[in-house]
Amino acid sequence: MKKAVGYVCLVVILFLIPLFTQHEYILHILCLIGINIIFACSINAILNIGELNLAQAAFMGIGAYASTVLVMRLHLSFWVAMPLAMIVTAVISLLIGFLTLRFKGAYFLLFTFLFAELMRVLLSNFGIGIFGGIPGLTSIPKPSIRLGDLIVIDFSSKTAFYYLILTLVIFTVVVLRRVDKSRIGMIFEAIRQSDLLVESIGISTMKFKVLGCAIGCLFAGLSGSLYAHFVGIITPSDFAIHAVLAPIAYVVIGGIGNVFGPVIGTTTLMVLSNFFLRQFGFFELLLYGIVIVLIVRFMPEGIISIPRRFFGKRRIPDPEEVKTDGAS
Amino acid sequence: MDAVLLAQGALNGVMLGLSYALVALGLSLIFGIMRIVNFAHGEMFMLGGYVAFYLFGTFGINYFVTLALAVGIVGFIGVILEKFIFRPLTRRPEVAMTSLIAAVGLAWVFQMLAVICFGELDKDIPTAFKGIIRLGGVVLTWERFVAIMLGVALVVLLNLFLIKTKFGKAIRAVAEDKEAAALQGIQVNRISALSFGIGSGLAAAAGVIITSIFVVNPSIGGDVILKAFLVVILGGMGSTSGAMLGGLLLGFIESYGGLFFSVPVVSVITFALIIMILIVRPQGLLGRE
Repeated sequence: MKKAVGYVCLVVILFLIPLFTQHEYILHILCLIGINIIFACSINAILNIGELNLAQAAFMGIGAYASTVLVMRLHLSFWVAMPLAMIVTAVISLLIGFLTLRFKGAYFLLFTFLFAELMRVLLSNFGIGIFGGIPGLTSIPKPSIRLGDLIVIDFSSKTAFYYLILTLVIFTVVVLRRVDKSRIGMIFEAIRQSDLLVESIGISTMKFKVLGCAIGCLFAGLSGSLYAHFVGIITPSDFAIHAVLAPIAYVVIGGIGNVFGPVIGTTTLMVLSNFFLRQFGFFELLLYGIVIVLIVRFMPEGIISIPRRFFGKRRIPDPEEVKTDGAS
Repeated sequence: MDAVLLAQGALNGVMLGLSYALVALGLSLIFGIMRIVNFAHGEMFMLGGYVAFYLFGTFGINYFVTLALAVGIVGFIGVILEKFIFRPLTRRPEVAMTSLIAAVGLAWVFQMLAVICFGELDKDIPTAFKGIIRLGGVVLTWERFVAIMLGVALVVLLNLFLIKTKFGKAIRAVAEDKEAAALQGIQVNRISALSFGIGSGLAAAAGVIITSIFVVNPSIGGDVILKAFLVVILGGMGSTSGAMLGGLLLGFIESYGGLFFSVPVVSVITFALIIMILIVRPQGLLGRE
């Protein structure tokens, strides 16, 4: 009950922000944070089945390109194109999933890395008439709502876009939290801990892994679609391998597993990175890199573990940990 | 297509392949021992390049002495990174994720430090060995000939080290089974520091050899790590002979592909080939399950 009140208060505060600041820059950063939160949640959803997908940015790219092509080439409305882009992304992820989820750990990592590079090369060099080649697609239209002739909400204003993104962030967090708590979520968790064990009680892990991957990619597609229409320009290198590394850092530094980890991690790191950018300009990436290394090194469980560290019970040592200590 | 062009392509393929193999060998060694994918490995290559630029290019120290110093300096950096950043992470769960992010952060730090200390622009290292060799119609610069020879020498040395010496055997034992190795009295921590140092040193050696033919700049590590990943995927994680084979294969594909097709087509062919190989042999060409 207490928790629910907290969430409601948080949501209300977030909805009220544009009343206090109409500053373009702040709203712009908030929108980007929102898009990145959705993307980080999608990475986290796949981490929930125990795998790290380096092609997640490529799936975001698929969403972005699908949505843009549907709007610009087929002249569909954004409100139709966005869900379609999500579905396209999820369907492609099903195909890739059946191919790659046979691999585990480092092999899966490298295979998805390969797919990400393949996507970048394909988008840069083939179907230039549709996808625009290396310069990508520009002047992507902003969505708008037309209710009769009187009410027209135009999302070219940052405030309107902020509300759109905020709504979708809440939607993403709620849906993924629901999935987490459901029976399927429990099976994901079991697979993460030991897929052999899950297999041994007669559950097809492959089916659930592919499902988990598709759920994650659904939201990667959503973030891609939003990114395309918010920023207005997409190029193949926006979704190359380096584009997934920073969001993975958001998830790891926020805390893996919990839905709120990526939310906290993304917000903290993006605010920090923009602060560094404004304060130190050129040195931004250096400081940012140092901060990330330090946080990972000294707080490998993420920011979400801070309250537990100070107020909670002592963590029970992991059996793995004890074993390696003894061996050294 | 005449024989001369094919031979020329083969020589270029061998040179590229050996340098890819050197970087991938280091990556593979580190993965084999510590089970981490070191995204900062390309930066060791870059540092090697800068050592060559300053020691050999600016101060005029002998090329081979520079090579040895580069391996030593960057190897030492590798040992430090292992001890203070990566080893503590391997004691915890989720090591795959945390070490990946730590490595990415380190890569950014090294890149930015390189920009700050050495500048963003390409740096050209003076030619170490002037002149060309002619074999029939095939032309090879001395520089590239030395590069091929050094590559072969380093690979042979590494293999002798891993097979013949006590430390080499210990490294292979730890890669095979950490606990069993520890039970035999092998000091696992020391071995993992050693292999991190050797791996980083190998990347630096490749950096010296390759950047003295081409150029060095702060972002070169990113391109190199991409190639090294492809090689490791192709050859098999943690397999030394796999890294060799994968490196040469990639070198040949790029060298010959470049003769017949445009660059993007070569990339697509490379990826398609690797994906097909992986479907048949998921563990890579010479990797074990």
